[in-house]
Amino acid sequence: MSWPIADLDAVRRLHVLAGAVPGAAAAESVLPASFDQVWAVAADLEGELPRYLPDVRSLRITRVDGDRLEADARGYAGLRAHFDIVLRPGWCVMRSRFLLGAMAAVADGDHTRFAFLAGAQLPVQRVVGPVLSVVGRWSAPRVVARFGERVALRR
Amino acid sequence: MSDETELTALVRAAQRGDGLAMAGLIDVLTPAIGRWCGPIALQDGPDATQEALIAVFRGLKGLAEPAALFGWARSIAVREAVRVARRTARHRTVELVDLPAPGDPLLAVDIADVLERLTPEHRAVLMLRELDGLDERTIAGLLDVPAGTVKSRLSRARRSFRKEWAR
Repeated sequence: MSWPIADLDAVRRLHVLAGAVPGAAAAESVLPASFDQVWAVAADLEGELPRYLPDVRSLRITRVDGDRLEADARGYAGLRAHFDIVLRPGWCVMRSRFLLGAMAAVADGDHTRFAFLAGAQLPVQRVVGPVLSVVGRWSAPRVVARFGERVALRR
Repeated sequence: MSDETELTALVRAAQRGDGLAMAGLIDVLTPAIGRWCGPIALQDGPDATQEALIAVFRGLKGLAEPAALFGWARSIAVREAVRVARRTARHRTVELVDLPAPGDPLLAVDIADVLERLTPEHRAVLMLRELDGLDERTIAGLLDVPAGTVKSRLSRARRSFRKEWAR
């Protein structure tokens, strides 16, 4: 017996997460690169993330346990944040006390669909969620564009 | 820590708005919801699964007992799958093709061809009966129809399914 089973790819999962987190914003683009080329940039959090996230000056991985990571980030405005991270091929979720970020990628023929999410964590979710939503809708596509530029440079 | 304790902790954290826990819950729920939505929504299964998961998270704060997560999510998934399948109206509106009895050897074949000929509501009955092994009363409660309706649909279905299959 073969019952049809519906699958949900990583980009769709990211959109579910965007729908679940108040104020979260997501943007998506099809990049002219293979999945491996795209994910090589996404998975290089220390080297690449500060290059496409404008508020992050540096990020240092402090612990790795399978697909669970921890990292300390520093921002240009003096921000310091500790992140718990889940990282596996095609899927990355980062959570600090106040912030939530996610990336997802799925092969699409010779190209790759890439999506990025920015949101807030409770307790600030309800307070800054509406503001972040506006900011996120403006900034998320720009992050995706900068990410695409990084992929193009590394190809 | 037991699986149940881990699941309870994950649900509670997601209810508090923890994005990492929400992502973990998506991992846990997606295979089950895809299994429920696939046979009902067919080609629209990914859309149905995505919308069912969004509906689950919208209602998650109201889930008092984390141990009831999968039963609760199943009712949402079936409802969303029927809604998505109806919306796209991909099912054939021909005369109802009836269903085999549980364990019927006729089901030991690729069932996709049969499902294509059913309405979304009948796919839901078939899936809940055959795949999840639910009784008629439980199916009726889940689909919000009288138990007699489920029973008569199944009974009538079994007869003409065989005719259709034998063509």
